[in-house]
This record gives sequence, C-alpha cells and structure tokens, in this order.
Amino acid sequence: MKRGRFARDTLRFPQRDFDMVKEGVISLGIIGVLIVGAAAIFGAPYRPAITNKQVALSSPVLIEQTALGDLSGTGSIASYGPPYNNGWHGQAQSIQSIMGFSPQTWWGTPYPWNTAQNDVIIPLQMLATASANAPLNQALTQYQSASYAQQQQWDTNYSNALNKATVAAGRVVTPFGNFGPVALMMNNELQLAKSGLLSGALNRQTNGGVYRYDVSGDLLFLQGAALHNIANSINMQGGQWGINHDEAALPGPWWLTPYTFLYQIPPYSTSASGDEMAAYTIGILFMLLVLVPWVPGLNKLPKLLPVHRLIWRDWYHFLDKQNACVSCPLRDSCRQEFRGKKGGALSGETPRCYQSLSKDV
Amino acid sequence: MNWTKSLRKSATEKLTWDNLLPSEQPVYVNSLVYSFGVFTLSSLVFCIASGIIMSAKGPLWYQTSSLGEFLRSVHYWSVQAFFFFTTMHLVGQFFMGSWREGRALTWVVGALSFAVSVIEAFTGYLSRGDFFSQWNQVQSKDAFNGAGLDGFINILNNGQVYGLHIAVFPAILIALVGLHLLAVRSKGVVPPYPISAKKRDEQA
Repeated sequence: MKRGRFARDTLRFPQRDFDMVKEGVISLGIIGVLIVGAAAIFGAPYRPAITNKQVALSSPVLIEQTALGDLSGTGSIASYGPPYNNGWHGQAQSIQSIMGFSPQTWWGTPYPWNTAQNDVIIPLQMLATASANAPLNQALTQYQSASYAQQQQWDTNYSNALNKATVAAGRVVTPFGNFGPVALMMNNELQLAKSGLLSGALNRQTNGGVYRYDVSGDLLFLQGAALHNIANSINMQGGQWGINHDEAALPGPWWLTPYTFLYQIPPYSTSASGDEMAAYTIGILFMLLVLVPWVPGLNKLPKLLPVHRLIWRDWYHFLDKQNACVSCPLRDSCRQEFRGKKGGALSGETPRCYQSLSKDV
Repeated sequence: MNWTKSLRKSATEKLTWDNLLPSEQPVYVNSLVYSFGVFTLSSLVFCIASGIIMSAKGPLWYQTSSLGEFLRSVHYWSVQAFFFFTTMHLVGQFFMGSWREGRALTWVVGALSFAVSVIEAFTGYLSRGDFFSQWNQVQSKDAFNGAGLDGFINILNNGQVYGLHIAVFPAILIALVGLHLLAVRSKGVVPPYPISAKKRDEQA
C-alpha cells in the first residue's frame, strides 16, 4: 500500500466525550447573566443630540456666523466639493487626494447641497411665506438681484461686524455698517433657528419632501463650529481619540483603536488627505490579516512564539507523560503522527497506539 | 458535470451529523481559549435578539422609554461582550496557527466576519440617535468621502444607515458566521503544533 502523507483528520487523535449542546446552553446562560447584569447595573451611554434651536438660544452669534458662512461661501460645506457640490464658484477646498488618487471625486455630486440656497435663501423664503413677512421678502429679493461683488461686500461687512457683536435679550447687536439686506436676513435666520423650525426647513430639502429619513441638511448646517465646540469640551475630537471612546465613562468602540491611533500621528494627523490615508492604511492592514495563511513569515510566527505551548500545555504534558511511542510497534508512524509534520501511517490505517492512549485519557 | 450531485456529495461527506453535532472532541481540545468562540456566538445571539426587539419597537422607543433604554443597554453590552470575545478568539486562533492543514478558508471567513462586525457596530453607533451618533456622522463623512465610499453610503442619511444596520450587514454577518461554523465543523479543530525535532529526538 502506498505510504503517503498522513491526512491530519482530527478523528485520528484520541477522543473524549464532549457535549456541544450542553456547552452552548451553559455559554448562553453565562453570557446572558453577564450582559443583562451589566445592562441593569451600568445602563448605556446616551447624550441627547444637539439641535440648532439649542445652539441658537445659547450662542446666537454662532448661528448667524454659520449662516453667513453658508451664504457667503466661506463655510466649510459651501466649498467642500464632492459629494455635495463642486465647490464655491468652482473652487473646492476639501477634496482629498493621494498623488492624484482621489476616489472622492468618482461619484460626482450625488447629494447636492448649495449652502447659500439650501441653508439660507430657501428656509428664509419659507419663513417669509409662513409669516407673510414683507420686509424679509424684499430683503431676499434685494440680495438675490444684487451683483456677486455687492453680495460679497455686504457679507464681509456683516462678518466683520459679527466679530464685535454682543447679545442683548437673545438678539445679536452689531456695530453700524453697510450690510444691505444681510443683517435682516441673518436676524430672521436666527429667529427661525430659535423657533426650532430651521431643522425641518433644512431636512425637508435633503428628503426631497417629507416622510423620509435623510437628516443630512441639518447635520451639514451644524457640522462646523457648532458641533466642534461641544465635541471639544467632552474630548470627542479626532485628535482626542474621538470615536474610540464614548462621551460617558462607559467603554466606547475600543475595537477601532488601530484606526483611531492613526489620527494621533503624522502624516495622518497633519495631512489634508489624512482620512483617505487612514482608510487605505487600515484597508491594507486588514488584507494582511485576511491573508495571514499565505504571508511568509507571518504564517510561521505562531509556531515560533511559545503561546501555543501554553494553550495546549495539557496535550504536551500528556505526550511527555505517556511517552507511548517508545514501546509502540508502529513507533515511527506513531511519533510522526503525534509530533511530526508528515505522518507515516499507512493510508486508511489508524495507528494502534491511539487505542491504548484513548483508554488512559 | 452535475452541479446538484457534486453539491450533494460534498455536503454529505463534509457535513455529517458527527461533524455538525459532535459528541466527541480530540483530547487536545482542552483550554479556556476554546471557549472564546462559543462565547462570541452567545454574545451575537444576544445582539440579534435585543436588536430585533428594538427594531420592532423603533428608534423613538429605545431613546425615550425606560424599557427601551434597558433594551438599548442590553444591546450595548452584548456588543461589548461580542467584541471582547471576538478579539480574544481571533488572537487565540492566531497563536494556534489555526489556518493550518486545509483551514485557510476558515481563517479568511472569520477575518471577514470581524470586518463586517466592525462596520455593523459602526452603523449601530450612528443609529443611537444621540450626540455620539450626530457627531460621528459628521466626522465620519470626511472619512467615507476620502475613502471614496460616500457615493454608495451617505453616512448622513439615517434611513440608509439604519437599514444597513438592521438588515444588510446582519444578513452578511450571519451568512459569514454560518459559513465559518460549517468550515470549523467540517475540518475539525486544528491539531497542536508538533513538538520540536530536538525534543522528539530526546523522547525517542
């Protein structure tokens, strides 16, 4: 009979009784007690989401600055680029690229968002219609029919004034200046936000109507300083290991540590394309993990490390204690089967030593 | 070639009842490390069970009612347990070189399951409906955009994120875990590394 490589069928090893169903049920019981117990004792973290109404009430100047940035094109989303727009008047600021490789641009602008129109003009048109507000209507008409240079002049003047603004009884008070219709527009935007209706006005646009679930509009409005200020106060920014931990004392998604770690070191923490670099670095590392069985060196590493001796210490003790192969008539094949890479047993044959060993286990 | 016959032959040979529901194990299967796999699976059962109840009642319920909050806590700790035991399982299996002797597919499917779990958990965090979700949505939009994935997944669209979390990724994950289990059961548990040549000679 041909003496070939022994197929390491695990049934050829000595066996012992095992109750898979019982083990599964016991495991479910242990894990269930742990999980339900932890849930009852510790609960789960939850901090209510921030609304632009809250921001408007607590930081009215910030809301006006945000809206003005959206109107004038200085806001980050105004000039973001794909997938929201092609930048502000063709100038995109946030397109990530690694040596010309820029997958961000591949899909065009599937979620179109023009901040001047969507964040300011359209919500204010809704407000003017809802409240029959003639001065606001006139202000909107005046702004939209003005030249771009004139619009930018008003916007810049009001932006400078907002830097010196004070708040009196919830209203923004600025030094006098030539703001055209912009001051009235911004004050109305603030009022709309304070009422809580701005979110609806924004989200009905990304939803293409109502009765849908896309809240991009509201998130894109808030995503700048409004949310960053709050996140910074609770150590949630990217450079503070942001997503890696929860904002409460309970554990967060710690399994993202390798990914979050990248954001703490250059070039990921300093490059404008840091997100793209981090994503593809993690992608490459993950492929390495998937391909471990075929990566030379890495696939032999666990054999060199002594950890497997600890995991299978009972088995190795068992072999030492038995020293069974010494007296086995099939000594060579027995030894190879237990300890060698290639077995020497005849094909289809079970070494007799196993049977004697099985009795002692 | 008859595909049906081939599939039936292969399934009959590999998926015997002795393999699927073994009442015996090789003697070397005797370590706490072997428990991490079944603990991972048990945690996944609690993730799915609590998730089904939560999705049946809807996001408003688990964000506003006390019973909903408790179920959300159960879901949260199930996920924590799942990742703890998954990580231990992954690390343990690495040290055991468990891809050896025809088990590479088992390893690959297990690693893919881990990746899908991470994305599944991430979409879950975005479905919490609180500041954490809100903040990480706006932060991760830059990551998804940079990676070129936002054309497929609008991370700011709650409807899409929630659908991915409760249907698409769970279906993929369950399929992968099922395949992983079948691969483990059809091949059996990886045998220990042989002892070194030097030690073997001493024994002889």
